Amino acid sequence: MELLLQTLINGILAAGIYALVASGLALAVGVVGIVNFAHGEFTMIGAFIAYLLFVGTGLDPFLSLGLAALVLFGVGAITYLGLIRPVLAAPELNQMLLTFGLSVALQNIALLLFGADTRVVSTSYQGATLSLGGLSFGVPPLLAFGLSVVILGALYGFLDRTRLGLAVRAVAQNRLAPGLLGIETQRVYLLAFGLSAALAGVAGVMLSVMLYASPTVGFAYTLKAFAIIVMAGLGNLRGVVPAAIILALAEALVSTYLPGGGGWVEAVFFLVIFVALTWRSWRAA
Amino acid sequence: MLSVQGLCKRFGGVTAANEVSLQVAPGEILAVIGPNGAGKSTLLNLLSGLLRPDEGRIEFLGQEITHAPPEVRTWKGLGRAFQIVQPFPEMSVWENLLVGALYGKPSTPRKVAERVVAEVIELTGLAPKAQTPAGELTLLEDKRLELARALCTQPRLLLLDEVMAGLRPSEALEAVALVRRIRDSGVTVLFIEHLMPVVRALADRVVVMDYGRVIAEGPYDAVAANPKVREAYLGRAQ
Repeated sequence: MELLLQTLINGILAAGIYALVASGLALAVGVVGIVNFAHGEFTMIGAFIAYLLFVGTGLDPFLSLGLAALVLFGVGAITYLGLIRPVLAAPELNQMLLTFGLSVALQNIALLLFGADTRVVSTSYQGATLSLGGLSFGVPPLLAFGLSVVILGALYGFLDRTRLGLAVRAVAQNRLAPGLLGIETQRVYLLAFGLSAALAGVAGVMLSVMLYASPTVGFAYTLKAFAIIVMAGLGNLRGVVPAAIILALAEALVSTYLPGGGGWVEAVFFLVIFVALTWRSWRAA
Repeated sequence: MLSVQGLCKRFGGVTAANEVSLQVAPGEILAVIGPNGAGKSTLLNLLSGLLRPDEGRIEFLGQEITHAPPEVRTWKGLGRAFQIVQPFPEMSVWENLLVGALYGKPSTPRKVAERVVAEVIELTGLAPKAQTPAGELTLLEDKRLELARALCTQPRLLLLDEVMAGLRPSEALEAVALVRRIRDSGVTVLFIEHLMPVVRALADRVVVMDYGRVIAEGPYDAVAANPKVREAYLGRAQ
């Protein structure tokens, strides 16, 4: 019973970062209409920003979150203006090849700059845990989870309650109408892509503490984020959080209860995509 | 109010709009009719900014808007409703309308926008459905929403693209009455329509297109009697 409870808690705690990365991807796919395979590389950049700031100035990663978010918003905006906007009207295959190429390019630039080693941000509370009735909570995952909840709350508050959020939702739900209702769609795309990268970057900062920074750290998160947004329904921002929880719980259960579970964890996202797509097409038929 | 001169749009070898010129006077209801493929929808897309013309000039309220993006035209008072309705399916009817009211004119205060929505939702009979998600409306309600949302942008000229298509005769009658009410509230209307009874009932003036050209214009009865128009619809008598 205790094992099950601990497993579920681990799952829930992991879901925060998943939801951050996946909400970002959902903005890129749902609002801008771009299947961004380089999304995890924004996470990677976030992780390296946290690492460099920590090594260079000793700044605690959880304090560098805001700066990383700003930098990544800029990176996302520049990526949108320079690479994405010119291919918005291009066939989807071209768009995917472009973002896939961007992913490979960013990974290799990071490889040139930092080498292939994994770099851990070793804070003083790195291995700290809180114990509560036989259950233990790692401090970094707990902090990351708490911040994720706050950030996601702010994101959904923005989407639900503000004038600009209404425009973002409008663009996500219909391509043709927003411009004719007076919305400057190009600005909404720019904002959404910048936010998308910022969310990925913030998750990267958290990963630098809980996992490590490395040139390929983001790729697994691209795949997991895809599994989550496929489960939520492409373009459905609201479904991202529950879908992230489901994926994280499934991974935690597999890791605990399947013999050799640790090795199978990275296959769970694939199973989730498979089941979600099959179920959808079966229901549609 | 609207002045179109020599508008041309080609898609590959097809000339969808060929030297189209027309004028819309303030307060009138103008119908654009023509057989399938005559270029009516292309004309509407050129007017609302979804397409850019290869040649020609569009002036609205004395200002050139030939190459202005759609949102700028909307701000100036050009509204558009689609034949195939384009709702935001996961938003409520109220929110759908609020998008139009908030963004139809730049920096509209929320209070003003909500007042506009409240007026339009009454005018279009959608008030009982205010909190219903747009994805759950019937076709008739969808069409009303499409019209209502365009109205929320507070247009001076409203472009309607076959908004009666698919409606039952009784529903079409209701819609005709609604378009009249809209005009009476001070909005000029340009509409595309296939249903001739609707055209006859609504239009002050009719423009007929065929193969991308304007082939006739005038009052309904004169246009309907025009041999060129009969030929376009029925083919040449042998």
